[in-house]
Amino acid sequence: MAEFNLDCLGEACPIPLMKCEKKIAELSVGDVLIVAIDHSCAMKNVPDWARTQGYNVEIDEVDDGEWEVIIEKTK
Amino acid sequence: MPDQEQKTSISRTRAPRKPKKSQIPYALVITVLVIGFGFYLSGFSLKLPIYLAFGLLFGYTLQRSRFCFTAAFRDPFITGSTTVTRAVLVAISLASVGFFAIKLNSVLNGSETNLSMAGVNPIGIPLILGAILFGIGMVIAGGCASGTLMRVGEGFTMQIVSLFFFVIGSLWGAHDMGTIWSTLNESAPKIFLPNILGWFGAIVVQLLIIVLLYIAAIKWQQKKMGSE
Amino acid sequence: MKEFFIKLGNNEIYKKLMKEPITYVAGAVLLAVFQIAHFAIFQHGWGVSTTFAHWGAWLFQAMGGNVNHWSFFADEKTQATLANGLIQDGGTIRNLGIILGALIATLYASQFKIKKIKSIKQIIAAVIGGLLMGYGARMAMGCNIGALFTSIASFSLSGWIFGAFLLVGAFFGSKLLAKYFM
Repeated sequence: MAEFNLDCLGEACPIPLMKCEKKIAELSVGDVLIVAIDHSCAMKNVPDWARTQGYNVEIDEVDDGEWEVIIEKTK
Repeated sequence: MPDQEQKTSISRTRAPRKPKKSQIPYALVITVLVIGFGFYLSGFSLKLPIYLAFGLLFGYTLQRSRFCFTAAFRDPFITGSTTVTRAVLVAISLASVGFFAIKLNSVLNGSETNLSMAGVNPIGIPLILGAILFGIGMVIAGGCASGTLMRVGEGFTMQIVSLFFFVIGSLWGAHDMGTIWSTLNESAPKIFLPNILGWFGAIVVQLLIIVLLYIAAIKWQQKKMGSE
Repeated sequence: MKEFFIKLGNNEIYKKLMKEPITYVAGAVLLAVFQIAHFAIFQHGWGVSTTFAHWGAWLFQAMGGNVNHWSFFADEKTQATLANGLIQDGGTIRNLGIILGALIATLYASQFKIKKIKSIKQIIAAVIGGLLMGYGARMAMGCNIGALFTSIASFSLSGWIFGAFLLVGAFFGSKLLAKYFM
C-alpha cells in the first residue's frame, strides 16, 4: 500500500493521461496514485479513463483550477 | 493486502488546504464588460455583436463540456477511447440536418442567394496534405484552433505561444497558397453531395455513414479498452 | 459579500449548473444548435482559422510588410476586411468571443488559474504544433471547424476527406508526442 505522486501541473492533454497510464503500470495492486492536474480537460479525461479501467477514483479540488485525482489500483 | 474498507473509499493523508477564493465576482465584472463591449460593437454594425454572442456561446460550451475536436481524433490512438469521437459524430449529424434544411430551403424557395455551395471546398492535394499537417500539429500542440482559443481563455501560457505560431503559420500558408498550392487546386473538384446523390440520397447516405462510424467507434473502444 | 459568493459557489444547484462539466454529448448538441443558427443568420458556417491569416497579415503590415499583392488576400472581401481593421472583422470578434466565453465559464466555476509553461519541451511543442496547424489550415482551407465540422454539415465531400486524413495526421502526431514530447 504505497502512495505515489505524479505532477502534471501546467501540462495539457493528452500528456497527463499518458503519464498516468505509464505510471500506473509500474504500481502494484493496492497502491494509490495521486495526480496533480490544473487542466480542466484532464480533470475529466483522467478520471474517466481510470474508471473504465475499473480503478477507484476520487477527485479533490485542492485550489482554484487545481485538482488532485486519486487513483487506487484495484487490479 | 488492502483492507476491506478501503475498497470503497481511498484513505490517504491529506495536505492542509489553502482557503479557496470565489472567482464569481470577477466573472460578474467581466460579464458586464463583455455586454458593454457588445453595445460598443453595435455602433459599427449590427452583425458584430451577433458574432460576439456566437463566439461567447461556442467558447462557453467548449469549456463547460470539455468538448475537444483534437481528442476525438487523437484519443483512439492514445488510450483507445472513442467517447469524444462519438460526441463529434453526434454534433455533425445534428448540424447536417439543420444545414440540409437551410440549403434545401434556399433552393426550393428560389431565394436570392442559392446556398448550396456554401462551405463546399475543393478536393485536391492541398486538402489532403493540409489535413495531415493539421492533424500532426494539433496533437503536438494539445489543441486545434478552437481548442487553443478556449485554453487561452482558461489561462494556458503554452497555448498563447501556440496561438502566436498558429498565426505565423497561417500567414506563411496564405503566402504559399498563392504561390504554390493554388495551382494544384485549379482542377480540384468541389463536390456537393446532393449534386451527385440527390437531396434525399445525400442525407440518407450521410447519416448512414455517421451511424456506421459510430458503430465502428464503439467496436474500436471495446477492442482497445475492453469496455465502453 | 465575500461570504455570499463562497456560499453560492458551494451551493449544490450552482455547482451542477456552473461548475461540474456537462457531458460531451450535451456539448455536441449545443454546438450543433449554435452552428445551425450561425448558418441561418450569416449564410456561412462557423470558422476559426481563416481569421488567423488576417491576424497574420495585420501583424505583417504593422511591421512594415505588405500583403496586398498576395493572391490569398487579393479578393475584394478580404481587402475590405484588412482595410477596416480588427474591430470591424466578424471573425476576429467571434474568436475573441471564444476566448472570453471560456474565460467567463472558468471564472463562474472558480477554476481560473494561470498555467505557467513548465519546460522547454512545451515551448517547442507549441511552436511546431502552431506552425503546422497554421500552414495546414491554409492548405486545407480550414481547420477542424471550417474544413471539418462546417464542411461535413454542408454536405461537402471535402469535409469527409479532410477528416480521413486528419486521422492519419493525428496517428503520426500521437507517435511523435509519445516519443519526443512526453
